[in-house]
Amino acid sequence: MRKRKYILILLLFLLFIVEGTIVPWLIPPSWETRIVPHLVYIAILFFSVYENRHTGLVLGLCFGLLQDIVYYGSMIGAYSFAMGFSCYLLGLLSKTRQAPLPLMMIIVLTGSILLDSILFGTYSLFGLVHEPYAWALMNHIIPNVFVQFVFALIIYVPLRRQLEIITRRRSVEDKA
Amino acid sequence: MLKLFKLLGNKRLFILLMGLILFIAVMGFTLGSRTKLSWPEKFVKDTVGFVQYVFYKPAGYVAGLFEDISELHALQEENEQLKIALSHYTRDKAYYNWIEQENERLKNDLKFTNAQKEMYDYTWKIAHVISVNDDPVNRTIVLNIGGREGVKEGMAVSSAEGLVGIVSHVSNFTATVKLVTTMDARDPNSNGIAVTAQGKENQIFGVIESFDKTSGNFLMSRIDDKKTLAEGDLIVSSGIGGVFPRGMIIGKVTDIQVGEFGLTYTATVKPAASFTDWKELFVVFAPEAEKE
Repeated sequence: MRKRKYILILLLFLLFIVEGTIVPWLIPPSWETRIVPHLVYIAILFFSVYENRHTGLVLGLCFGLLQDIVYYGSMIGAYSFAMGFSCYLLGLLSKTRQAPLPLMMIIVLTGSILLDSILFGTYSLFGLVHEPYAWALMNHIIPNVFVQFVFALIIYVPLRRQLEIITRRRSVEDKA
Repeated sequence: MLKLFKLLGNKRLFILLMGLILFIAVMGFTLGSRTKLSWPEKFVKDTVGFVQYVFYKPAGYVAGLFEDISELHALQEENEQLKIALSHYTRDKAYYNWIEQENERLKNDLKFTNAQKEMYDYTWKIAHVISVNDDPVNRTIVLNIGGREGVKEGMAVSSAEGLVGIVSHVSNFTATVKLVTTMDARDPNSNGIAVTAQGKENQIFGVIESFDKTSGNFLMSRIDDKKTLAEGDLIVSSGIGGVFPRGMIIGKVTDIQVGEFGLTYTATVKPAASFTDWKELFVVFAPEAEKE
């Protein structure tokens, strides 16, 4: 059970690498500044819904920090805070661990809007961006939602199965 | 009042608030001019950078192959343009050599010191992009050369087309480049670039301070005299101030209008670099930085 979880986290790291290296090549050049999918974040949302919201919180903080350090342009902490906070919040909102597909998709939609909004809020708080929120919404938040939604649909079946195996084994161990 | 205390007694809320304060402190501390990275940051950047290097290059090759196939029909046109450029180049080369030698001779006659002579002797080091972060507000790319090769914070980074960004943070084997699209006049940590127009270096002075995110153009402000500046002029950095290297190509003027306070003019400059599909870039080493 432990091993399975570590492999999943390793896959998350792989996804993080792919997000920075291969994904930019797949996006058409005219959309390159407007579609910035946070694939790792979407996968961590699954963790916080189907496994445990505290796992989601820790993973969100760690991978956010990784993103912050590797792409350190103006400050550290924006991604870490946004990913950790929104993963925890969405894990808190979905109390049942048996969230069906439509509910999960609603969580993904709100989650992606929430992440980009927190990021935009942080940046405007520190004076890095002066455009109004409506600009951000039209420029990248809404295009992102579509791409992340499609990605969530793709990973839904395999990732949920793996996470359910982990939680089922844990509950069996707890009973025993 | 009692209710408020009860609310604060909630452990979860307390932790959340502490976390919020902690994060704002971290953000505030890391914002601004931090020149050196701590070793955990360097370690993370170098390890991740190595893995990214393995992934980015093959992806670039595959994408490049598809691009080449789709652009096959434009090959003839490109070939023609290159031939024209080559003929221009050979003509200019003869002229340039002549001027350069004359310049050298005059510098010797005027007894220039060594530092003065080598002031504009930049070396361009090639670097490969290893990953891209397209966050619209905080766009950065990571290069595969770093502190070991002598890269320092604040160096200019250029593609074959023009200026791309400025090195923001350096670890031992990688360097993060903050793109010039993040430039902002209202941000105290973002410095303007003194610029001029190619061919009119002595007449035109302006400063590129901000990038308009909605239209995707630079704004060149503080132009005293708009008579000499024309649409279509090539804007290059002038090196006035000595921090930023001179002769970096920035873009073409598309529009000139009266500036904010009506005293100076502001020109809209379309960037020369495309800021997409990164492959090789050049880090510009100034001679001063090498000596230290």
